Amino acid sequence: MQKRAFLIGTTAILIVIGLLPVISMLVKSVFQNGHFTLSAYHGLLGSARQWVLIKHSFTLAALVTAFTTVIGVPLGILLGKTDFPLRKLFLFLFVIPLLLPPYVTAVSWFDLLGREGLLAPLLGSTLTQHIGRWLFGLPGCTFVLFSVFLPIPVILTVAFLHTINPRLEEAARSAAGWGRVLKEITLPLIFPAILLSALLVFLLTFGEFGVPNYLRYAVYPVESFTRFSAFYNFKAATAAAMPMAAITLLALIFESAFLREGTYQLQPLPEGAQRMKIHLYRFRSGVVISTTLLLLMIVIVPLLSLIIKSGGFAVYLQAINKAGESLIRSVSYAAIGATLLSILGFFSGYLIRIRAFKFWRSLDSLTLFLFALPGTVIGIGLIRLWNTPRTNFIYATPLIILLGYLAKYTALTSRISVTQLAHIPSSMEEAAQMTGASWLRRMIFIIAPLAKRGLMAAWLVGYIFSLRDTSITMLVYPAGHDTLPVRIFTLMANGSPELIAALCVILIAATLVPATLISLLPLFKRQEVWL
Amino acid sequence: MRKYMPLLLSSLIVASVLGLSGACTRGQKTVKTVTVYVSEDQVFSEPILKDFQKQTGIKVKAVYDTEEAKSTGTMNRLIAEKNNPQADVYWANEPIRAEVLKQKGISAAYVSPNAKDIPSAFKDPQGYWTGFSARARVLIVNTKVKQKPNSISAYLDPRWKGKAVMANPLFGTTTSEIAALFTLWGDQQAKAFMMALKKNKVAVSTSNGESADFVAAGQYDFSLVDSDDGVNRMRQGKPVTIVYPDQQPGQIGCFIVPNAVVLVKGAPHPQTAKKLIDFLLSPQTESKLAFADCAQIPLHAGVKMPPEMKPISAIKVMKVNYAEVAKKMIEIQPFLKSWMGL
Repeated sequence: MQKRAFLIGTTAILIVIGLLPVISMLVKSVFQNGHFTLSAYHGLLGSARQWVLIKHSFTLAALVTAFTTVIGVPLGILLGKTDFPLRKLFLFLFVIPLLLPPYVTAVSWFDLLGREGLLAPLLGSTLTQHIGRWLFGLPGCTFVLFSVFLPIPVILTVAFLHTINPRLEEAARSAAGWGRVLKEITLPLIFPAILLSALLVFLLTFGEFGVPNYLRYAVYPVESFTRFSAFYNFKAATAAAMPMAAITLLALIFESAFLREGTYQLQPLPEGAQRMKIHLYRFRSGVVISTTLLLLMIVIVPLLSLIIKSGGFAVYLQAINKAGESLIRSVSYAAIGATLLSILGFFSGYLIRIRAFKFWRSLDSLTLFLFALPGTVIGIGLIRLWNTPRTNFIYATPLIILLGYLAKYTALTSRISVTQLAHIPSSMEEAAQMTGASWLRRMIFIIAPLAKRGLMAAWLVGYIFSLRDTSITMLVYPAGHDTLPVRIFTLMANGSPELIAALCVILIAATLVPATLISLLPLFKRQEVWL
Repeated sequence: MRKYMPLLLSSLIVASVLGLSGACTRGQKTVKTVTVYVSEDQVFSEPILKDFQKQTGIKVKAVYDTEEAKSTGTMNRLIAEKNNPQADVYWANEPIRAEVLKQKGISAAYVSPNAKDIPSAFKDPQGYWTGFSARARVLIVNTKVKQKPNSISAYLDPRWKGKAVMANPLFGTTTSEIAALFTLWGDQQAKAFMMALKKNKVAVSTSNGESADFVAAGQYDFSLVDSDDGVNRMRQGKPVTIVYPDQQPGQIGCFIVPNAVVLVKGAPHPQTAKKLIDFLLSPQTESKLAFADCAQIPLHAGVKMPPEMKPISAIKVMKVNYAEVAKKMIEIQPFLKSWMGL
């Protein structure tokens, strides 16, 4: 009874927080003065611009997906399966762009290559103009989002490689070289990871607002945000958001049909099993040099350009003075958001793992749908639902931001919990049940402590994604409660580039310091599979 | 103790979430606050609001616009919150939006004692908005150009075919100025002017700032921009100068865009709101905004300002009714969209 009530409660929370705003937004978009009308949608379909936006969005998402997959999977194999030196350090460094709001990477490239950029004096005005045209458009957007989302196929490839039974590869190796083993054994085994990463990258790029907006490439999320924010047209904004929701839904149907079982079968290696390693031998130096160059190009150079652009200590003091409160708020909201996300994700993960209800799959799909849905859509939905005098305790307080985090990012913590819970033998809970322990006591004293690594990982992921969120927070934050990513955005209008760069560096530090500290905990020293 | 840890932890989380909500509401009751939505750039408006907070002890809570929302995000938030107002004051960076709010019944009348010396052309006669610290719409011209343009009609001069740029007319002060031209010239003449711009291959940039950068870089000879864009580039030592257009007898004059402050109807804190409005309309605030990088022209007479700026009394001002401009701006949106090919 206790278990049922708790899990129904979890489901209800997810529906109220995530689904209700989207449904409310959809319903309100088709009613005018109490009458049903599809006028907003007619306007949308009748405009030639919509097809241009769809083409732009698809082109950008397809290019980013292709590049990240083609480079990310081999990179994942390199860092997860070979004797490449300092693999963990490289992996950590490659992941950095994913931890930051994507527009920070765009800002750093502009600081480097823009008209007033660090390299402008070396490149000359003609070349700078050419590069500027390249940066502000499809090529620039593709490149920036490629560097931001490259860690997704890398991490997924590394994680799935760790689950391959070494006996399969050992048997194949006795008859064939590594090239053939990779092609015929390893890659087919990690194929679900490749497809999943491609799907995630496609959806995240398709829903990305900050980078195309900064680099002025017209795509659907920018249109939806502009229609709400610049033209205040809720109906048109909703209509503009619907193709994105439909495409997200289609992608999830694909995921549900072809991938889900594959990704849930992720299991750790049996105790004592040794993973097979590929020795690079004579290729080692060449591979190390080219990987280092790639790392320099997509991670180190942009980070350095931000640090150089930010100038000296005085600028950082000014930045702290101007945005210190926003920084504190960001960290606090992200910490509270991460805690709530871990709890909600834990129970939703438990529900999905034990398939507690017939609708477990729907709940999983709902969290994924909300994760893939552009933040602007969720933000508009939240305003639609909670902007009433009776619900001011939510709308006029930071609770509205926290609801946004929960709606958008529960999928991440839920999936981490599913994987972690898969490692806990059901006999543990059953034994506790035999002694008469209630379900809640079993959860608190048996399951949660056993899943503490997963909970900690979920908290960290929740913290990072809440801290980097811009699209939802920018739309819903109450007066006086702006976060650091939002403040950076608002200061971009005529703010000094040095100050913006310093604030970006501070944001990077606020993200990386807790991430590094937690990853250094003894709990995380052992091999971990979170995905 | 360990046994009770989970209970303690969960209580702590619930308390912190409830506290977050409670503290926000409670804070409003005990400490004097004012909530202001601002479409003037944060980098310029925030220091003024901090000064107000320091001088009065009234805590200012602000929502600022982003460049991406083309400085209309906060206005739209005010419209969204019409039946549930959260803001007390709206600081608009131009009077057209303030007029739109008046027409939508979102603003309340308030005549500040500090508004009496502001020329009547820059305030609503009923007190629904009051202008202060203005930008002028000027021509920024690259110094390499020998014979400088002195009128917006230079955009149509074959001498500058393909050599002039202007910001996207769908957004910001460019829309306002075009709407002003429609009210001044009538639809037919204004549309003909717009079509002639296309014929003379006038380039369109994303913003006034970008136009100013293009001219500073020598990519284009001149552009119509806000005076702050021009003054800023001059202060940065860029090879540009500014020209106040149409200043000769018989010419239309220079379009002036003052900031506008609005009291929100149903404001939760009307008393502190009025104090903030009085503060914004003071000559001291105008002087600070004149010396700031936004280089805005004071509307009070005799306010100290930097030498590179012209006082409002020395500028031939385009005579327009901002209420009519606001109506026209909405009316010409479809034309402007089709002009842009959207």
